[in-house]
Amino acid sequence: MGAVFRVLLYLYPQRHRELLGAEMQAVFEQGAQEHRLLGPSQYLRFVLLEVGGLVLHAAIAQFANATHRGYLENQVHGTLAPPQDLPDEVIEAQNRVAVNLNQLLFAISRHQFVQARFYSNEERKARENLRQMQEKYGIGDPQPLP
Amino acid sequence: MGQHIGMRHVAKRPAIEQPPKPLTEPVLLILMSLAAQPRHGYALIKDIEALSRHRVRLSTGTLYGALPRLLDEGWIERFEQEDTSRDKQAYRLTSEGRRQLELELNRFRELSRAGFARLRLGEA
Repeated sequence: MGAVFRVLLYLYPQRHRELLGAEMQAVFEQGAQEHRLLGPSQYLRFVLLEVGGLVLHAAIAQFANATHRGYLENQVHGTLAPPQDLPDEVIEAQNRVAVNLNQLLFAISRHQFVQARFYSNEERKARENLRQMQEKYGIGDPQPLP
Repeated sequence: MGQHIGMRHVAKRPAIEQPPKPLTEPVLLILMSLAAQPRHGYALIKDIEALSRHRVRLSTGTLYGALPRLLDEGWIERFEQEDTSRDKQAYRLTSEGRRQLELELNRFRELSRAGFARLRLGEA
């Protein structure tokens, strides 16, 4: 069954498969092992639900990949991009700006202007917070944010 | 000759700050599970099963449908754990993820408070 699952993973976007394929396979194998011990009917039920879920979510992932600019783009194999040599508070503040900016662009792209206004305000607050953090740590030449 | 400038009065809509959409159940359960400690994929599935009193068992597809969205939004992050291989990657909640979880749980608290108030009204 593991081989079938591995083949079905090709339904996912390449980026998704490269980053998460091995993990997904391992999670499926562990679940299969557990359900095999519960008897044939439980195992069959497990397999059907897994295959159904995989096909459905592969279609959703393909849609997200096609419509959502930057799908899994910030992630690298194994872990997040290594943090810069900055205090945790500054990195956190930078992340918050980036996340709100990302949400803002996403809302605009989907013409959700009420949401866009919300994230625009959040992003402004996050930038102000980042400025204060940079002042606090005396960072004179901050890295430009997107 | 005077220049004619056409002007139109546009009523300014009041700015309504709307909070983000409610979280889906799998997303809420994933955030709740990671709030206690970092976990890898299968541990998440098992913990969510226990957390929901065996009502919810996420399929691999559902779990790995939600995780990329949470990673992209910066609510969770992958991190290196000693003695784990690439096929057993751990995830942990970021402070933004914790904030979103708190927002959602507060929303639930308000909603249940309002619901119980309505029930009491009905009984009276």
